[in-house]
Parts: sequence; C-alpha cells; structure tokens
Amino acid sequence: MSEKQGMSLIVKTVTRAILAIIFLYGFYIILHGHLSPGGGFGGGVVLALGFLSVMLAYGRPTTQKWLNIRALHTVESSGPLLFLAVGLLGLAGGGVFLLNTLDHGRLFDLWSSGFILPLNIIIGIKVGLSLFLAVWALTAWDPEKGADA
Amino acid sequence: MIIYALCFALFLVGLYGLIVKRDLIKIILSTGIMGYAVNLMIVLFGYRREAIYPILEKGKEAAAMVDPLPQALVLTSIVIELGTTALLVALAVQLHKNFKTFDITKIRRLRG
Repeated sequence: MSEKQGMSLIVKTVTRAILAIIFLYGFYIILHGHLSPGGGFGGGVVLALGFLSVMLAYGRPTTQKWLNIRALHTVESSGPLLFLAVGLLGLAGGGVFLLNTLDHGRLFDLWSSGFILPLNIIIGIKVGLSLFLAVWALTAWDPEKGADA
Repeated sequence: MIIYALCFALFLVGLYGLIVKRDLIKIILSTGIMGYAVNLMIVLFGYRREAIYPILEKGKEAAAMVDPLPQALVLTSIVIELGTTALLVALAVQLHKNFKTFDITKIRRLRG
C-alpha cells in the first residue's frame, strides 16, 4: 500500500473500520425490502457507497488490486439474466411471467414474500455494482494523462 | 396549497440555474434540483393529514395511510434521474476531454 495515493492515514483507517458496517447495513436493507422501507435499490446504493468510500480513501490503483473489476463487470452484467431466470420459473410452472411458485411462509417473517426476496437480492447486487462501476468508469479519465483503465 | 407553490419555487430555482449558469457541472446540478422539486410535489399529492406510513407491521392497527402509489412512482423516477445524471456527467467528461473547459460559452466549435 503506497502512502502517496488516496487520502490521509486517518481517512484510510476510518474507512477500514466502518466498511464492514456499511456492507452489513446495505445487505440488511436489501434482505428486509419486503418488510420495511428500502429494498434492492436503496440497499444497492449503500453497497455502492461502501465500494466508493474505498475508492476515494485509497485511490484507484489500490482498489484495483483489492477488487477484480472484470469479475465485477461479469457479475453486474449477469444480473438481468438472473432476474429473467427467476421470472421464467413462474412461466415454467404453467403460469405467467414472474408468477410466484415458492411458498409464502408466515406473515412478517423474513421468508414471507416468495420471489420478492431473491429478486431484491438480484436487484441490490445489480444496482450496487453498476453504480460503483459507473463512477469507476467516469473517474478513469485523467485530464493530464488520459485514460488509464 | 402553499406547499405546492413552494415546490414550484424549488423547480424555478433549478430552472434559473439551468438557464443562467455557464458551468456544465452547475447545469447538471440544476437539472437534479428540478427533478427533486417534481418528486417532492408528486409525493405531496399522496399526503393525508394525520395518516401513517403505508407499511404493515406486526402489532400495528390498520389506520388511515398516506397514498403509497406516488411514492412507488417517485422511486422509479429517482432511478431514472440517477441514470440521466450519470449520462450527463459522462457527456460533460467527454466535452472536457475535447475542450479542456466546462464553460459552455467557450464550447463552440467542433473539435477533437
């Protein structure tokens, strides 16, 4: 880890300390999207902000070493395919697109919404990664040196 | 009625920035302010006095709720606004690449 990239040591240490909490909060909002305010989009934005705080605190090269950006691109692009697969499950069961074929569980439980929970998880991952990768692509270009990624 | 007028005033703040400012970043922020004003107005259309949020919870009595439909519409609108803002920022980055400035009065001739 080079000391010259990114922000000061204080910011880096605080980022390292709160990163797990940011991700935990994002996953909590995604998983409880059918019970409380939030859901795939809101939780995904929190996840993206967790990635972006690392990018801002440590700089692009360190983040590139930490994350496999190409793999993240693959996961992000496969999000709509997963959504389509879940939707076609309803069609395969003899119903219509996105028809719920899972059992409903008990009201107010975490497992009480059928397809909404897996769809929220897919949307959360898709939103989080695409927001992070959009900002990553926008910051790729340096006014002095030109594009570096 | 006055809250709708205040929403319109916020919209006009965004419109003022969009028309008067010359910096591309400020123009993009102004479009965001205009969008927020419209979203706020749509949410206020569904507001009811002394009503609760439209979410069922364990042990909560059914009571008068605010209209959840405008809130769902505004959520979609926020997502689309995010997309358009990202597109505008990408265009601004491309313009800065060619013209080395964000001042729209200096971006005149085709170049690059």
